[in-house]
Amino acid sequence: MSNFMNKLDQLFAEKKSGLFMAHMIAGYPTIEDSEKVAEALAKGGADIIELQIPFSDPMADGPAISVASDEAIKSGATVAKSLALLGKVAKLGKPVVVMTYINIPFRYGIPKFVKTLAKAGASALIVPDCPFDTEEGRELLTACKENDVYLIPVVSPGVPKERLEQLARDASGFVYCTSRQGITGANSKFAKELFDFVKELKQVFKLPIAVGFGVKSKEDVAELAKVADIVIAGSVFINTVKNRGDVEKLTLMLTR
Amino acid sequence: MLWDTLRKLSAEFESAKKDAGFQSEFQDLLRNFSGRPTPLIFAVRATSDLGGAKVYLKNEGANHTGAHKITHCLGQGLLAKRLGKKMLIAETGAGQHGVATATVAAKLGLDCVVFMGSEDIKRQRPNVFLMERLGTKVVAVEYGSKTLKDAVNEALKFWMEHLDEAHYCIGSVLGPAPYPEMNRYFQSVIGREIRAELIERRHKLPDAVVACVGGGSNAMGSFYEFIKEKSVRLIGVEAGGTGTKMGEHASRKIAGEPGIFQGYKSLFLQTEEGQIAPTHSISAGLDYPGVGPELADLYTNGRVELTYATDAEAVSAVDYFAKLEGVISALESAHALAEVRKIAPTMPKDAIVVATLSGRGDKDLFNFARAFKDESFRDFLKDEYDRPY
Repeated sequence: MSNFMNKLDQLFAEKKSGLFMAHMIAGYPTIEDSEKVAEALAKGGADIIELQIPFSDPMADGPAISVASDEAIKSGATVAKSLALLGKVAKLGKPVVVMTYINIPFRYGIPKFVKTLAKAGASALIVPDCPFDTEEGRELLTACKENDVYLIPVVSPGVPKERLEQLARDASGFVYCTSRQGITGANSKFAKELFDFVKELKQVFKLPIAVGFGVKSKEDVAELAKVADIVIAGSVFINTVKNRGDVEKLTLMLTR
Repeated sequence: MLWDTLRKLSAEFESAKKDAGFQSEFQDLLRNFSGRPTPLIFAVRATSDLGGAKVYLKNEGANHTGAHKITHCLGQGLLAKRLGKKMLIAETGAGQHGVATATVAAKLGLDCVVFMGSEDIKRQRPNVFLMERLGTKVVAVEYGSKTLKDAVNEALKFWMEHLDEAHYCIGSVLGPAPYPEMNRYFQSVIGREIRAELIERRHKLPDAVVACVGGGSNAMGSFYEFIKEKSVRLIGVEAGGTGTKMGEHASRKIAGEPGIFQGYKSLFLQTEEGQIAPTHSISAGLDYPGVGPELADLYTNGRVELTYATDAEAVSAVDYFAKLEGVISALESAHALAEVRKIAPTMPKDAIVVATLSGRGDKDLFNFARAFKDESFRDFLKDEYDRPY
């Protein structure tokens, strides 16, 4: 266990709500450009950067991230290069949350993977296709605890309270809530159902609640910030970054 | 996200197994809708030509909709109704599972959406047409390799958005629990029928059971009955495609490594780092990187042997059994037939080898015409195209 405070805790100590987490894919459109993307997001005011290590088949993501992940892998975003990029992104000073799919840490070796993340400066890890109560989920939890990396649970409206309470026992850092059952980047309506659900999450978890999936505009951010402590946006940046010259625009998109 | 849905499905499956009402409805549909039991054909002329073991073909192609897939679709369709679902979702590669799901949805009065890679739609257009006639919406998946694995990804995504009203009718013995066990449970009727027929007609068990393996539904269905019978060799035949390099085949025997993907842990074709590998097979139904977890375990612990047949061997086996036995096999099943041609001659004459013919070849008409370079069929298509509706 390290003596350093997890950067997320430092952030939460300073600011309890109204936080913004910006998502990006390592190696999209290229490894070099994605470093610039991270800089632009940090400069634009992202409080947390979510760095996705690309996987060939990102089942919990929508078409924009699927296609971008494919392109990142084709352009040479290996796991090793993504981890090197993580080190550089972490040096920007913002807490970095790594997101990937379970087959990547599974093949790398789960304890070694988490240790590498911690060394490179990651504050937390999200693995949407690995429930905590599987063999690998437990392995992830143990490794994360040992390395002071938070393992973030992913939930969505409709998950029964019984399950939330189970997850809460092992949850740390914050809770990642999808704004509806399903996938990233699709049309989203921030239904009353979601707002009620987030209130329930706050009661059960006693952790900051991050809400994402389908954030398209500043208006969306403002709307979700009414209930969420952390608002997450991802696909919208992917679409901007598609044209390599537009990386600068990211900062403009974020600054109000 | 699927925790609650899967838990409810598991509970319903467990209670249905013990429910006489469910069992009698399922058996009635198998018998009087699908046409079970399916024939066990003694392949007399092939046996004599191969000069070794007696060859039997378990003709699952005689099922309604032309393949074994209808069996687990009926089982799951009944479960979906018990769970109060209004819609079936399915992925399909060759289109056989899609047609079977569409058929069951129509029969049981459920809506149906089937996801299919756009590459597979090109290879299996006739099945798309059939699904649409059955009232199903077929959604083309345009990303990734545009084949079965991508159809599964897309079906999973759609399901997560429609958990309350839809049941995902997974088409093989894979995916998260309870799917591998549930589909194997429904399909195990294949092995039970093989045993009963052989005991009645030959008074003995088979010496080998051979089945093609994509995800493994017809293989697990054929093998399960014989797992405890150590004298019975169980041989799964994978897609050898055009070569042994990554992307040229779909054989876990050649290059499968442990992985976790699409909700289950098994052997997958993948890169060193864990990216899921591209696959190839002439048969869309075998063109998939993963294999059912129970089958992978049986292979790893040595109970089941895996081998592969190439695209060319599969096509040749179709031709061979068509001419000698009057049976036109689906390209998937032809992989098992290709293996029979290899092993039957090496076995004694009193030995029995059973190959499961998982599906009939009607759906592959266009693929056969291309494989056999049939010019007159091509002319027919041209004429047909020019003829106004």
